[in-house]
Amino acid sequence: MSGVGLLIVSHSRKLAEGVRELAEQVAQGRVPIAAVGGTADGSLGTNADDIRVAAEQLASASVDGVAVLLDMGSAVMSTELALEGFGTPHRICNAPLVEGAIVAAVEASIGSDLAATAAAAEGASQLRKVAVA
Amino acid sequence: MTTTDADADADAAEARLTVSHPAGLHLRPAALFVQTASRFASEIRARNLSRDNSPDVNAKSILGVMQVAVSQGDQLLVRAHGADAVEAIAALTALVAGNFGDAS
Repeated sequence: MSGVGLLIVSHSRKLAEGVRELAEQVAQGRVPIAAVGGTADGSLGTNADDIRVAAEQLASASVDGVAVLLDMGSAVMSTELALEGFGTPHRICNAPLVEGAIVAAVEASIGSDLAATAAAAEGASQLRKVAVA
Repeated sequence: MTTTDADADADAAEARLTVSHPAGLHLRPAALFVQTASRFASEIRARNLSRDNSPDVNAKSILGVMQVAVSQGDQLLVRAHGADAVEAIAALTALVAGNFGDAS
């Protein structure tokens, strides 16, 4: 499978898997999505080794690029560490996790490249939840 | 309720589509709309006729389609321009008229 894959990183494994569940609903099976979160003992946190394993799973699905959606704080540092030397083009999106992942999933599902997928995810920060009076 | 007009110009087509899905054009319906539009080469634009100042957006952009904020009962103007414009409008009309396959 070519195209862009998504890597979801959260401090919480449940949150990461929930975001993947939402993104998969709109991706219609066309986008490889990996979710990773929590520490080895199941508590909240991020682990660079686990993130690298998830990234490699996407690479073995033969994606051309990986768009990373993450929550905040040390998830960024752990992901940067995890992806040092990772051979597949990738980008950490400066995007809200939920909206960004959904928008990226749709964008990737229509064959957009990594730059366009990441740009769309980053544009998700402008979406309004309710109409402004 | 839908109406479709094939323009005299064979490369252009448009339709006014009433979205009856309870969720409007959000999340999965919006994704399906964008995925359907993207199957065609024509340029496709969408605008919400039921809202003042609705932007005219690229129907192949999920961000764009989410920005038109289509709620249940709103009327959407979809216009296509290109070699497969008529087919594109037919497919989008079928998607909306078929209530997105009842996707929620």
